[in-house]
Formats: sequence, structure tokens, C-alpha cells
Amino acid sequence: MSERSERTNEATSDERVHRIEGHITRAAFPLPDVTWPLTAEFWAGATRNELMIPVCDTCGRYRWYPKTECLSCDGEPYTWTPVSGRGTLFSWVVVTHPFLPQFADLVPFVPALVALEEDPSVRVPTRMVDCDPGSLTFDMPVTVTFREISFTGVDGSVTAPLFVPA
Amino acid sequence: MAIDPGEWGNAADFDDVNGQVAICGVGDSDMSKASGRTTQEIVGQAVERALADAGLEPTDVDGLMYVGMPEQFDVAAFHEHFGTSHDIWESRKGGGMTGAATAPYFAAEALREGKATFVLNTFGVAWATQRGEMTGGPGESHAQDLFKQNLEIPLGWFPQPVYFATIARRHMHDFGTTEEQLGAIAVAFRRHANLNPEAVMRDKPLSLEQYLASPKFVDPFRKEDCCLISDGGGAYIMTTPERAADRPKAPAIVAGVGLGNAYTGTHWAQQPAFTSTPAVFSAPAAFAMAGITPDDVDLYTCYDPFTIVTLMQIEDSGFCEKGAGGEFVAGDTLHFDSGKLPTNTHGGMLSHAYVLGISHVVEVVRQLRGEAVNQVPDCEIGVYGGYTGPQCSTIVLRRAS
Repeated sequence: MSERSERTNEATSDERVHRIEGHITRAAFPLPDVTWPLTAEFWAGATRNELMIPVCDTCGRYRWYPKTECLSCDGEPYTWTPVSGRGTLFSWVVVTHPFLPQFADLVPFVPALVALEEDPSVRVPTRMVDCDPGSLTFDMPVTVTFREISFTGVDGSVTAPLFVPA
Repeated sequence: MAIDPGEWGNAADFDDVNGQVAICGVGDSDMSKASGRTTQEIVGQAVERALADAGLEPTDVDGLMYVGMPEQFDVAAFHEHFGTSHDIWESRKGGGMTGAATAPYFAAEALREGKATFVLNTFGVAWATQRGEMTGGPGESHAQDLFKQNLEIPLGWFPQPVYFATIARRHMHDFGTTEEQLGAIAVAFRRHANLNPEAVMRDKPLSLEQYLASPKFVDPFRKEDCCLISDGGGAYIMTTPERAADRPKAPAIVAGVGLGNAYTGTHWAQQPAFTSTPAVFSAPAAFAMAGITPDDVDLYTCYDPFTIVTLMQIEDSGFCEKGAGGEFVAGDTLHFDSGKLPTNTHGGMLSHAYVLGISHVVEVVRQLRGEAVNQVPDCEIGVYGGYTGPQCSTIVLRRAS
């Protein structure tokens, strides 16, 4: 906490945010960079059909996002751990406008946040699939499904954890 | 549902600067869609107008504040624009967004220590002109965040309209907020813009019926829930209240400043208090410094990228109970001439121009002077709430007595 309070007089916030910037030079964008060390295990898990979330070695809480420093205890080491893939639908939207040209073939789609069964404070950004958006309700049970995702004009695909109504 | 505030953010530990700084001149540029102008041309125009408003010459400005974004009006740009070469103290703790509220806090120190006597704060964008060349428009800075690139964007959770529509939907669930209530915000600000010849949307009326008939492009949002993309900028000049008393226009006195932080930054998906803003931290701090309560506020302006962000800041600043914002903003509450809390009386970013809050402060000063286009009767205390997501700021300005 002391380190945290020392930072509060800063007029800029990026330090507290643990923001890591990289210019978008990858031809595969918006596919993930599955080699980026901080999230590589998330995507490797998806190819094995496992939803992987890191646990802080110091305080035992989920470290989500997998930042290098725990927001709860400031500890650093963490361990990627498989979770059940069950959760509840925290919130969602129905996108009919492609905000990126690469989303052109995706619309309409349903970006969503899923609260994990193991710890509902962990919210996984995902897409709801195999469902009528009009049938979705708050906090309904949902379960992970692993699908290949691809984008307009972008070569290749990546296995990603999407969700369906349970 | 109740989240301990200490779990997700805090307030900056600011010294009391009540009564130490006055704003003695304001100006904004022409506001427009794509203009072909550069950011520095835009801000230069705003600065010329602020100097004229304050009755000052360029050589009187010996302090300059802006924010560390590309193409801002730094000392080199100032000298190039005005053909001057004198020494100028400079700070990047200003500009728009949250900085438009906190610049006076940091200027207070410079004024106290004699580093400067007249401190100019500016901000401007040419995003409407630049839009065609940008990857994903204003989403670009978010797209450069590698956590977003690798955990959000591949799933389609991007960019800002998607983030805030997701928050709006949860707010609707948690508190019963309705589309009509969000629409009341858009309609109020559009009405203000229709009455403001400087507003980009001056010729575009919007009724609640028209709002509801507009298609939802990121359900639950319509385009009317989202701010404009504009070319424009603004400037204001700070000094001590003593020096301000010698300027031609009535000064606005800085009575309170607060800054709040959210530990999860722009990773909104992970913010424990999902339907709150760090105004929870900044507003009480600023009001305490000023010795006022929310009931004392005659005019509110707030950074309004989306209708829901306005609504949440109204709640989080204490103008109503958390969750009651929808009911609060319904009807004419936010209107300049009949409302309980006149808000964004120039039209805001939703309908005046997307200049990231700098014009909100200009508007507060004009209201306190009694020279606003949509003048709030007997306006003595005005507040601006700045927002970036990771932070909220709050400034209380009062009419000089």
C-alpha cells in the first residue's frame, strides 16, 4: 500500500495502469500475438482446449490480467492454472458496426464479459456464440467453447475461448 | 454489489489551494469537423482569443501547460506562433481531460514559487482531419496496449463504444437505468448545442423520439450516445487572484481540486466497481477543499465521451445517490434554463465538439462571468469533472466576490 500511495500525486496514470505499449506493426492484428510472454500461456491453453488463468504465488488470488505485479499484494511470481470454463454472463453488447475493417465479416457479433465460477471478480473478455442475442440474460450460466477465430483480410487463425449458454 | 472503494482506487493527496489561483482569460478555437488545420494552428487561434480576453500580450505569458500527447502547444510552438523568444516555465501536467481540472493545482505551486506570473493551459486536437489516416480512429491508443491486443481485441471487445456500451448495459441491470434516461442526456446537450452558434451540432436538433428511433449500432448504444470526432481546442490563463483583479474580465477563482485514480486503468473489464468512475474519489476531495456540498453547485460540466459516463459521474460526484442517476437526469434536469443541475451548457463533447474537456472549463468561466450563450441564472459555483478512465478529476470554480 505504501508504494501505491506514493504514486497518487502523479498527474499521469500510466504507471499505475501497468500499461505496456507496442505499435501495431503485426500483419496478423487483430489476431493475438501468441508469442507475447505475458499471455502466451493463455493462448497455448486454448489450443489444448483449456482455459488458463494465472494465480498469484504470493497471495493465492487470481492475477487477471496477468500483469507482472499483483494488484492485491504487489507480489510478482504467478502460476498459470486451468479453470473450469464455467461462469456467468456479466455483461454484453451486440455490435453491428465493424469498428475495425478486420471485423467486417464478423458483424453482428456479441462481445461479452464472463465472470468465472471460481472467482466472479475475474472477468474474461470473450464472444458469446451459438445463441440468439435476444435470449441472453444477466448472470446466466455460460460455458467455454474453443473455436478458431479469424479476421477479414488477415491470414491465419487462432484457437480462442468463446462462450455459449450453459 | 457494494465494493469497498479502497479495493479499486484512491484520491490524490492534494494540498489546499483554495483561493490561490484565478482564471483571468479564456478562449477556444473554431470548432468543426475535418478542417484541414493542424493542431498547433487550432490551439494558436484559441490562445490568441484567450490573450485578448485577458487583455494580455504574448510576452506576458511566462508559464505554459499542456499534456504529453503529440502535437500539443509546447514552448517551441508558442514562440513559433507568436514570434517571441522569452523564457517560459513549462509543465506537462495540464491540457484537456483530467488535466483541464488539475492544471490549476500545479500552476498554484509555480505561481507561489515565482516561477511564473501568467500561466497558459491549452489543449487541442485535429482528430477529425487526421481520422482518415488513423488505424481505428481514437481507438488507436487503446489498440497499442498489449494486454488489449492480446486479451480483448481478438475477442472483439474493442474500442471505446464497445467498452462503455458494456458498462451501460450492466448499469441498466444493476440500477434499472433505461434507454430513455440515457437519451435525456443526449437530448439536453444537443439542445444546448442548438442554441450555441459555436457548436458543431448547432443545426442538428434531437428529440427523445428521434433518439429512440436511431438504430443501435453497439446495442445498447446509438450513435447519439457517443461523442463527436472534431477539430478544435481551447485555452485558459491562470494567475493569482490579486493580479487577476487588474484584468478586464471578472476572474474565476479556483476553490477546490481533486484527482481520483482507478488501479485497473483502462482495463475497464477488470474494474471491481464496474459501473463507477474515479469521480467517487476526486469529487468529494474537491468539494471538501472548496468547503461546499454538491447542492451548492449551480453549473456542472463533465467529460462526456458517452451518455453513460456522464450519468456515472453525476452519481459518483454526489449529485444524486449511486444508481439513481437515470431517474435524476430524466426530463429537464440537465437543461440550462429549467434544470436542477444545468450540465454541459455549451453542448459537451456529445454535441459541442470533442475537444476533450478544455472547452468545458472555458464554459464554466463564461457562466461565472454571466457571458455564456446558454446562461444559467445567478451562476456562482461551477464544476468541471475530467475523465480518462484511469482517472477522474474535479475542479470547483467560483465567481470572485
